[in-house]
Amino acid sequence: MTRKPPERRPWRDVESDVDDELSFHLEMRARDARERGLDDETARREAERRFGNIDRISREVRAIDSQVVLGQRRRSMWSDLQQDVAYAVRGLRRTPGFAVVALLTLAIGIGANTAIFSVIDAALLRPLPFADSPRVVFLWNRTPEGLPTPLGPGRMMDFRAQAMSFSGFAGISHLSYTLTGAGDPETIPGASVSSTFFDVLGVKPLLGDTFHGGRADPNAVVLGYGLWARRFGADPTIVGKAITLNRRARTVVAVMPQQFFWPFITATPNADGGPDLFVPGGPGDIPRTAIDEDRDVRDNRNAGYIRVVARLRPGVTRHQANAEVQGVGARLSREHPEDGGRTAMLVGAREQFFGTIERPLFVLAGAVVFVLAVACANVASLLLARGAARRRDLALRRALGATRLRVARQLLTEALVLSLAGAAAGALFAWWATGALLRLAPGDVTALGVTLNWRVLLYTMSVALLAGIAFGLAPALQCSRGDLTAALSEESGRTSGSRRSGRLRDWLVACQIAVAVLLVAGASLLVRSFVSLTRVDTGIDTHNLLTFAIHLTGRKAEYQSEQVRFYAALQDRLAALPGVEAAGSAVTLPIGGDDFGTDYLVEGKPTPEPGHEANGGYQVVMPGYFAAMGIPIREGRDVSASDAHNGLPVALINETLARQQWPGQSALGRRLRISVNEPWLTIVGVVADIRHLGPAVPPRPEIYQPASQRSFPFMAFVVRTTGDPDAMVPSIRHAVAELDPTLAIAEVKTMDDHIAHALARPKFVSTLVTGFGALALMLAVIGIYGVMAWSVAQQRREIAIRMALGAERSSVLALVLRKAGWLATGGIAAGLILMPLATHPLRAMLFGVTTADPVSIGIAAASLALVTVLAAFVPAARAARVHPASLVRS
Amino acid sequence: MTDRTSVDLLQGTLAALILKALSWGPLHGYGIARWIEHATADELLVEEGSLYPALHRLEARGLITSEWTRSDTNRRVRSYTLTAEGRAQLKAELSRWDRFSAAVTRAFDTRKARTT
Repeated sequence: MTRKPPERRPWRDVESDVDDELSFHLEMRARDARERGLDDETARREAERRFGNIDRISREVRAIDSQVVLGQRRRSMWSDLQQDVAYAVRGLRRTPGFAVVALLTLAIGIGANTAIFSVIDAALLRPLPFADSPRVVFLWNRTPEGLPTPLGPGRMMDFRAQAMSFSGFAGISHLSYTLTGAGDPETIPGASVSSTFFDVLGVKPLLGDTFHGGRADPNAVVLGYGLWARRFGADPTIVGKAITLNRRARTVVAVMPQQFFWPFITATPNADGGPDLFVPGGPGDIPRTAIDEDRDVRDNRNAGYIRVVARLRPGVTRHQANAEVQGVGARLSREHPEDGGRTAMLVGAREQFFGTIERPLFVLAGAVVFVLAVACANVASLLLARGAARRRDLALRRALGATRLRVARQLLTEALVLSLAGAAAGALFAWWATGALLRLAPGDVTALGVTLNWRVLLYTMSVALLAGIAFGLAPALQCSRGDLTAALSEESGRTSGSRRSGRLRDWLVACQIAVAVLLVAGASLLVRSFVSLTRVDTGIDTHNLLTFAIHLTGRKAEYQSEQVRFYAALQDRLAALPGVEAAGSAVTLPIGGDDFGTDYLVEGKPTPEPGHEANGGYQVVMPGYFAAMGIPIREGRDVSASDAHNGLPVALINETLARQQWPGQSALGRRLRISVNEPWLTIVGVVADIRHLGPAVPPRPEIYQPASQRSFPFMAFVVRTTGDPDAMVPSIRHAVAELDPTLAIAEVKTMDDHIAHALARPKFVSTLVTGFGALALMLAVIGIYGVMAWSVAQQRREIAIRMALGAERSSVLALVLRKAGWLATGGIAAGLILMPLATHPLRAMLFGVTTADPVSIGIAAASLALVTVLAAFVPAARAARVHPASLVRS
Repeated sequence: MTDRTSVDLLQGTLAALILKALSWGPLHGYGIARWIEHATADELLVEEGSLYPALHRLEARGLITSEWTRSDTNRRVRSYTLTAEGRAQLKAELSRWDRFSAAVTRAFDTRKARTT
């Protein structure tokens, strides 16, 4: 050997090489000097003098050589990588079947993760479109039960003046506007906001200028992008023009950009749908009330209709601010008993919009991680089988000088090439799947728009790399082990090495089965929960029931008698329409409509502490409402036209209220009132319970007052039709226009639509998890089949011998199926053990089933047992057909 | 120090000399030093050691290669050979030097002082 290869211990080589070279020079020079007659010592010194500074020169030369070696190493690493990748690609192209199955498996696993992550990114990770959005908070009253409720005007003003934690503070109320002028009248959902509103959010308009603190023309209006584009043809010169809202001219001062995001602010998190226009508040910069826009409400502390958005002052944490508003809220309630003993609470902006989506999204994220785990197990198993088939090849490479590390690295590179290719295919799959996902998803999930952005792609890449390592590591370690003699001398492949990788594959299959059991059980739970939701008796006959809302304007809106006269007239006209069985009206619709809650006091019972009043739902109905809704009157009578405005104040209650207050007795003739300032209401009827808040929420106490004694300028109508309810819409519009051509009908939907909307989210989640469960099952089948087929192939010889010795086919079949049975038993048992852990996060999402639901667990175990047997059957049948003669031939 | 006239040796000139030395055949560092000593009458190479950084730089640039051989006294000796690239480089250096020295000579031969 003349020169050592540069890779081995390069630094020491550089040093000793340089030393050798330089000292040789010195010795030669000294030798020449001796030959000229100098003595040893003088000759040596002469040589050193001529040479110069030995230290400096040797350092300089070493530095040059080190640079060279470093460059060589870098180049060789890079070329090794290139080699490994080329080798992997070549290997995959040689076995296209394996490559396609592995790629598809990974594309599905990674793609599902990417799709779900893109939704999570949109709802939970992407910054909200407000300036410094984490500092935007919402202020709510907090009831003694810990529930958020809106503020009254007086209380809002007190908070605005007294809370020091905020640099900006704005009230919001929701009200509807009827837009008249060009085109049909249309009801537009709107919001009345304090003049500071847009500055608190830090948002800029697309056109014009919004309101600012303390200066807002009371007749101004800011349009949302959607309304501007739809109704005004995206007129770029609209700023400064007047439009007619609720029969009053308002000047458009600004148009918000398309990406301005502002949903309705409700006590339960909401991100779906929002106001299309904004008007400034009334006197005191207080948001206007829906009942009377122009009323001065500064002295009012009762009406709780104001939502508050605020911006934290710089340096104040949300925790500090929350502590402060709690204190201020408690103090205000002590000073004002009519505030009802409430304190206050802050809710962060993201929680306000997406608070209830978090859990379902994390459940979906968990489900796709499970799917990916099953996919990885499949690919790992495929790689192990492939490694076993390539044992000779790999052992040969080792014998030819490749280190184990080098071989393992090569195999790992192959896995990573696979996973990255899988990620690319997965991203394409996700791109398609996200579209499908969005069509399926409820509006609030997609409120901010879902895109495949760099964060999502980064996530995909990381998932792919992790997955590649996860499924590549075991095969790489396992298969790089091979020693040549064993590999070359093996005849039938039944050596310890292949047996070891066979055992590893058995483990993988058992794990797959366990994970699939968990996914199928989760899916069953969610589906069963959804089915029980759809089967809930809401108390309403939803069949052929059309609903819509009317918002009165002008004179009709101002006087209660006018309101009621109009409602009665419209109801009569509707009922008289051909194809209509019955019509009724109520101020709020159950399920998906608005909701009025109220406290109430019962005559003859002690007045409770402030904040501890009994409360329930509050409804105002016209005669015929219960009949039209299919709600039976259990006792007493319906409200009637003869319940005059100045007559005896009456009410109907539901069975739950009757049972709670007068158990075992008749409630008829008893009296209750909704506050100490209100008159006593005599109960004249008891109606059946309904689930006003949706199928998942049990009935609560309800109080129904006749509209003739208390009414609002808006009303929801229900129309029971004999045929398709949607077909009735034109004649209903016509009936309304005949009565008043300036009125619009809004929110035209069937009751079934409302229920579907209420169930959209559980439907979305259960559909997706079921899909993921099916995917996992399918992947598990592939995995089980692969392992069983392989193990049969390994045992051909043994089986042939058994057959030659007279074994029955059935016993061979049993031999193979027994192994499948063991795998299934182990996997299912592991799944059942892990079940409580995995289904725990579902608890809060389930309705009508518990996580211990034996049916769901049974379905999961049985389905896996079944697919295992099915997947094992083909290989088992093949084994049973093994001919003893094949032994001789092979 | 000797009283010899010292000439500043530019890096480039040393490199060119090394390439020229190796154009006769493979040599070790000491052999190159000796060749330069003879060829320049000991005028140029003041610090023999500076030969080595120059050699290793030339090798890193691929103009020369080296290999370890055994000397007659059985010592490891690093021996350098000119590569094809090195040969081309030498040719280029020589023609450049010819032009340069001709120009300088012409300039020094002009006895009459110019005024512009």
